[in-house]
Amino acid sequence: MPNKQIISGNEALALGALVGGASVITGYPGTPSSEAIGYLLRNPSPGVHVEWSTNEKVALEIAAGAAWAGQRALATMKMSGLNVAYDSLISFAYSGCTGGLVVYVADDPGATAGMAEQDSRGFALMADLPMLEPATVEEVYRLIPKAFQLSEKVGTPVFVRMVTALSHSHAAVEVQTEFTPLRREPQLIRDITKYTKAGAAICLAQHRDLIQRLSNAEEAIREMGINHLLIAPKRGLGVIVCGLTASYLEEAMVALLPFNLDRTGISVLRLVSTHPFPEQEARTLLDHCDQILVLEELEPYIETALIVAARRYGFPGPIRGKLDGNLSRVGEYGTREVVKGLAQALNIPLSDSLFSGLAADNMAAPRPITVCAGCPHRGTYIAINQAIRKLKLKKDAVMVTGDIGCTILGMNPPFDTVWNEVSMGASLGLAQGYVWSGIQTPVIATIGDSTFFHAGIPSLINAVQHQASLTLIILDNGWTAMTGMQVNPGTAIGAQSGGHRLDLAHIIPTLGVDWFYQVDPYDLKATTEALIDALPRAGVKVILARRECAIQSIRQTGRAGRVRQQAENCNLCKLCITTTGCPAIHLTESSIVIDQALCNGCALCAQICAREAIVREEG
Amino acid sequence: MDRSYDIYLVGVGGQGVLTIGEILSEAAFQSGWPVNFYPTKGMAQRGGFFKAQLRLGRETIGPNIPERSADLVIAMERSEALKAIRFLKPGGVFLLWDSVWAPTAVMLGQASYPSLEAVAEQVTKAEGTLLTFHPEQMPPDQGQPGSENLFVLGVVLAATPLGSILPAQQVEKVIESRWKKGIERNLLAFRAGREATENPRG
Repeated sequence: MPNKQIISGNEALALGALVGGASVITGYPGTPSSEAIGYLLRNPSPGVHVEWSTNEKVALEIAAGAAWAGQRALATMKMSGLNVAYDSLISFAYSGCTGGLVVYVADDPGATAGMAEQDSRGFALMADLPMLEPATVEEVYRLIPKAFQLSEKVGTPVFVRMVTALSHSHAAVEVQTEFTPLRREPQLIRDITKYTKAGAAICLAQHRDLIQRLSNAEEAIREMGINHLLIAPKRGLGVIVCGLTASYLEEAMVALLPFNLDRTGISVLRLVSTHPFPEQEARTLLDHCDQILVLEELEPYIETALIVAARRYGFPGPIRGKLDGNLSRVGEYGTREVVKGLAQALNIPLSDSLFSGLAADNMAAPRPITVCAGCPHRGTYIAINQAIRKLKLKKDAVMVTGDIGCTILGMNPPFDTVWNEVSMGASLGLAQGYVWSGIQTPVIATIGDSTFFHAGIPSLINAVQHQASLTLIILDNGWTAMTGMQVNPGTAIGAQSGGHRLDLAHIIPTLGVDWFYQVDPYDLKATTEALIDALPRAGVKVILARRECAIQSIRQTGRAGRVRQQAENCNLCKLCITTTGCPAIHLTESSIVIDQALCNGCALCAQICAREAIVREEG
Repeated sequence: MDRSYDIYLVGVGGQGVLTIGEILSEAAFQSGWPVNFYPTKGMAQRGGFFKAQLRLGRETIGPNIPERSADLVIAMERSEALKAIRFLKPGGVFLLWDSVWAPTAVMLGQASYPSLEAVAEQVTKAEGTLLTFHPEQMPPDQGQPGSENLFVLGVVLAATPLGSILPAQQVEKVIESRWKKGIERNLLAFRAGREATENPRG
């Protein structure tokens, strides 16, 4: 029964996959892609296997295995995850697939989640795979079943790319509420010319097939009517918009109507398939127009392809976009960029104030993000800083490499503990590099539990094999927290919904590390002492700082404890604030104040306070 | 529908700005408006900057509100309010809930924090109408802090032109269907917010 409701772009993708008959759906959490799997796990559909996998490469391989057995399968990830999965993806591209295989990648123009502004369309080019980019939440929902059809029709994996502003947008869509998974009889196909890379002849043949499939995809996309070409009555300007950028075009045109914009002279090619380049539609547009404006977020991929096509057809007019320097390759797109492109092409003089407001942002107080009140990571950062001091080392002489996730917040004040952030698992490799660079002071690597499972384990094994003297601290809060509390292999058994829990306290010692410590980061003294013991030693030392994420732990078992102020003891030394930076501690004129609504009772502040102005309440 | 209405919301993670946006989206949808709601979740966990954009009235519309285009700004924290100034449409309404979440550096006197006058001056420069409400105007709920965000939602509907677009009853309906428990408390806060608008200050 259809039902119109407000859903997000990610939920539309999840529901679209169910409509499309997907029966195996995998992924690894990553903003802005996480809510797709999250939705499916909260709303299980019978006969559909959904999982958070250890990393994106594993996720993709599982989905591809299912598609090779004939099922429809989906793998989801953020752009950083696609980098991880690409090693397998290129091989899957060469082999093709029998069941439909859709790879959802979410890019983040504007870097709202603080990583690279990677334009994953480059991967489609590099792997010769079709890529579809919807413009609205409703289109996401309708497009995913078509992506599966396209995948099976051509026999190739198909990318669906979305950007943050679409993945996280919410709009009303009429959706199905019951689904029948397309559970086919699984098939085993033995064909080493397709499913292995045994020898150059096979690889070259597969490469030829791949190129042919991409060409077939172009035709299939045209037959399926996935792109939209609107030829205007008059010659004039041709506009190519793709993906989300299309959603800004109407508003921009309306904004230019007072400037005598003539819509009857503007033809529009709205691309949903950004790869392969739709030669035929582009040709029609070139034939009909005097100049073309390409509107695309981030890299000028379409613009470049169009320039190549224009050259081949002998198109004499200008092609406008980023390569002429008018539009930027940096940052999120919006109406202003579209207006700017149109105005330049049509020679419309704009007032500087159109869509340009009064910037007052720099008057706002800086608000560096920090860990939550009660976050166990706080204890670990403080302990690292204290251990360095107690060992009479200078903080600026001790390298502490950082990793992805909440643990990176140790880079911010008041901790200023962590020095760098690269990619999942990179803290450990970097640390080994610093060791072999000849640094004489201790080298520390910090990493979260999920990140360690994802990509840290191979690097720890490497450190053990090559005997790199370093101290690894695994900040184990039991959840993949920063992306919104997903399970990982180490999450408590009750949350694993039938899965098995792997205990880092059992795994690490078996990897041959020289020293292994397990501490509770709420116990500042014990954590600092473990570090003081570990740092000067030779060999590979691992400290497992284990305490469940405060947000999850409060939800499930309530706050960890309670602290009480004894205001008469407070001399306003502010040590509690300057050391912990806890959001639950406020300052008044006469004393500090603990916000009991925020406080989790971790009592780190009570352990810092030298005057018993904050004490732990017993019992 | 030939009308459109854009709302830019800012605040600090933990204030419930997301909930305000979700309730407004749902109420608008149930009133027949095309809706696009885009909260920026990114790294906006508790205590970090949070923003959301709600665009009503157009079937196909980009998620990002262009600068100088928001009919209404709802700002729930004084300093973060400054980040919304550039999006305010000249003649638009800027509703400031003047709560202060001082970052650590400000508490320690290492960084400055804007005055209310400074924010007001910016809104005036941006040719907006400033409506300021203060957390002290919120009556305590049985000695406990009330639902601040629902109080602000009540203020918004009573004090801004959004009230003539979205009927309060529609919003109450959404509040009633949203929570299993605490409905009464939330409705009380919402209604108190509507009544508080009789004497805006600032």
